[in-house]
Amino acid sequence: MNAEQKRAWLAVGSMVAVAIAYFVMLPFLGPRASLSAFALFGVNGIAPLIGRKEHLDERDRSIVRLATGIGAMCSYLGFYAATMGVWIVVFAVQRERSVSVHVFPTMAIVAGMVPLILGRAIVVLVLYGRHTEASDV
Amino acid sequence: MSEVSNCVRRLRFDHDEMTQEELAKRVGVTRQTIIAIESGKYTPSLGLALRLAREFNRPIAEIFKLEEAE
Repeated sequence: MNAEQKRAWLAVGSMVAVAIAYFVMLPFLGPRASLSAFALFGVNGIAPLIGRKEHLDERDRSIVRLATGIGAMCSYLGFYAATMGVWIVVFAVQRERSVSVHVFPTMAIVAGMVPLILGRAIVVLVLYGRHTEASDV
Repeated sequence: MSEVSNCVRRLRFDHDEMTQEELAKRVGVTRQTIIAIESGKYTPSLGLALRLAREFNRPIAEIFKLEEAE
């Protein structure tokens, strides 16, 4: 397993930890406060420290490039879908005149950052898995 | 549609049964990349193809072939 795969597993693992923490806190804190479980996703900040000195060859770089592009696409789609969804909920369903200032940071992190990191990680794991099935000497 | 096939695996065995690890080190990539090239799942860049050709002392067209598929 190379550094990119380790970083990807860190992202997937931290997302699982977020999901567990969210559902554990939900009965006690309610749906809004339980979103604080996403703080655990911040552990991905240490990802660049994993395998810093490891050499990436041209195939690794092409996988990372593709994964980052797809991650960015997921982020773009997630962020815009979520922000437009908020407009519908707030203006059409709740008939409010303004969007709460607390909504935007949540949207930026949950619908923007998480799809970027998680989408990238999943693509990395899928591509490495697909390319290294036939392992022999 | 066309795909690139190669005979890297055969050439490796022809060269004193060179291991994937050894070939990877010589051409400056990881063993996983050699596995992916041999199984046809990854088409190397021109630079890496030239390094492989130099390593096996063969013309590049002899190692990599364009397969025309219908």
